Amino acid sequence: MRQAIVRGDPSTYPDWFDGKRRQRPLIVARWVPIAMVGLPVAVLFAIVVYPTIWMFYHSLRDTNITGLFTGNHAYVGFANYGTVFSSDRFQDSLIHLLQYLSFGAVLQVILGGILALTLYEVVKSNLWRTIILILLVLPMMLPPSIVGVLWRFLLTPSNGAVNQALLDLGLISAHIEWFNAGVSLWSIIIADVWNWTALPLLIIYSGRVSLPPAVYEAARVDGASQWKVVRRITLPMLKEVIAIAFILRFTDAFKFVDLVYVMTSGGPAQTSELPTYIAFQRGIREFAIGEAAAYAIIIFAISAILVTLFLQYMKRVMRAQGLA
Amino acid sequence: MARLAIEGLCKGWDFPVIDDLSLTVEEGEFLVIVGPSGIGKTTLLRLVAGLETPDGGRILVGDRDVTRVPPYRRDVAMTFESYALYPHMTVARNIASPLKARGLPEDEIRRRVGEVTRLLRIDMLLERKPGEISGGQKQRTALGRTLVADPQVFLLDEPISHLDARIRHELRSQFHTLEDLRRVATVYVTHDYAEALSLGDRIAVMGNGGHLVQVGNPRNLFEQPATLFVAEHLGQPTINAIGAELVDVDDRLEVHAGSLRLPVSPAHRAALTKMQQRQVTIGLRPQHLRPADELPQGMELEGRIDIFEALGSTGVMIVDAGGVRLTALTRPERSFDHGEVVTLALNPAALYFFSPVDGRNLLL
Repeated sequence: MRQAIVRGDPSTYPDWFDGKRRQRPLIVARWVPIAMVGLPVAVLFAIVVYPTIWMFYHSLRDTNITGLFTGNHAYVGFANYGTVFSSDRFQDSLIHLLQYLSFGAVLQVILGGILALTLYEVVKSNLWRTIILILLVLPMMLPPSIVGVLWRFLLTPSNGAVNQALLDLGLISAHIEWFNAGVSLWSIIIADVWNWTALPLLIIYSGRVSLPPAVYEAARVDGASQWKVVRRITLPMLKEVIAIAFILRFTDAFKFVDLVYVMTSGGPAQTSELPTYIAFQRGIREFAIGEAAAYAIIIFAISAILVTLFLQYMKRVMRAQGLA
Repeated sequence: MARLAIEGLCKGWDFPVIDDLSLTVEEGEFLVIVGPSGIGKTTLLRLVAGLETPDGGRILVGDRDVTRVPPYRRDVAMTFESYALYPHMTVARNIASPLKARGLPEDEIRRRVGEVTRLLRIDMLLERKPGEISGGQKQRTALGRTLVADPQVFLLDEPISHLDARIRHELRSQFHTLEDLRRVATVYVTHDYAEALSLGDRIAVMGNGGHLVQVGNPRNLFEQPATLFVAEHLGQPTINAIGAELVDVDDRLEVHAGSLRLPVSPAHRAALTKMQQRQVTIGLRPQHLRPADELPQGMELEGRIDIFEALGSTGVMIVDAGGVRLTALTRPERSFDHGEVVTLALNPAALYFFSPVDGRNLLL
């Protein structure tokens, strides 16, 4: 039996420990491992667990800004949740979220994947790969607030660069009103795709780089065509990696406030609001702490369910390949 | 069916890996390429498979020059050292992949996969994935994938090197019995001399600089190695190689190393006497150096035992004989202690004489 931790009196050391072995047992005091695990757990508790409990508590109370500081708030049961679920504003924002997820996040992963695999298969020189990769990743280096301002300029209907370019190319005959109701959310999605496509691109590219080359050589000897190789070998082998890219973009969607705030402030007439933005608006700007907390808890629940489903899927994929 | 011919093949990156290499493997022949790691054996296979482009030379399958033909049109199949199984596909789909790529009908594919897996005794694993089967089963799946392709040339790259010894021996026998492998030209790469001696109709020993040092049947290579390099790579424990000097003593020829004085057998004398060069490297296989009572009528010498290993089927001793370290074999049931002085015997006719300059066998 191998002992991981040996403490105290050397005379109690196991008999195989002659003090000269390469792999000496780690000799530490009992509190060290406890502290090493305990410290991060404590930090996590302070910044994640405690605020979540605090939020859940206030989601059940009629807390407003004065109540928050005076402690003067009453238990209202699930009234806040009722307010949220029955409001058109929340229901609309869920549809917006769905639109953002299925076009924004999905498009980012698809585009990122196409770019990553094309880059890997087409560009063979390492120098050029690096240069192109850096260029493609540049948008991700910009803070979202800057990206928002940038795209507000680009999409300005009367004299914005995008409308001008589309006009010059003859693709449109009149200005597109990028910030009108029904269009403004698409503008946000376009800016977000531009900003964040590089993340799935990087993840999928690094996944492709680490696939075993021998498998591809076997495929070449077998005689599979380039397209078949991508479809039948590369994509299945990148399943987990693509799932991770999805998870990252999906979870980001639930804290997606910045571009909405900078580009449209949820407008016009709340047509580009996402649930998180409403939570922010109700809580930080209008001081309806209780209601905002209910929003936050609902968002938390939805994202927790989604991530759990993803993790289940990942586990299944990895077990099928004998990795877990 | 066809033979494989390699003519003046060259390949290098910063330095030559394969240099003007020519080799023919006849239809139905099992050729084993043996050599130390990193010598270019795998590169040679990859060139034949078409995974690398040669810098010069030609590769012919039958009468067809395939040097510039893409891998899948060469009619060759290759197993990889890492097996290179598709991790997301079942065993059945892995084996079916070359047939699928050719667009064969589904029931034909199923029939042939069934045949091959029964032959390799992995037919109970068809729905498993590579992550769920053992190393030996992975190897057989990889082999199945090449067998099912029914090619003109089989290329097997270290197929069983990474398995544990017991399974390795078990799987070695499958290469003897697989009819499909024995029907066509097969090139089998290994660094294990026992595999080479066991399997090869012919063995090619590959040496530094991308040359084949010697090509021939196993017995021939073992008994008449062209160079010390070949002798060192075939046989375990490794042949004793001792720097020595030829000395004329009266009317006899002797070879002196340290305080060792060994007579040169009359059979070897003619070849050695006419040499100008007096410095030689003598080679003596451990099985030809035994305790004196195991080898009567041998030429005797004294040695002190440094290390003794009882290996069950044989005993290996490393002795110090007059300042020369020698490896000798004993019968398995015997036992010796460190420091014990033993009388060893050898038959002078079993000695090899190599040039100390280029390692050439001086008796050939």
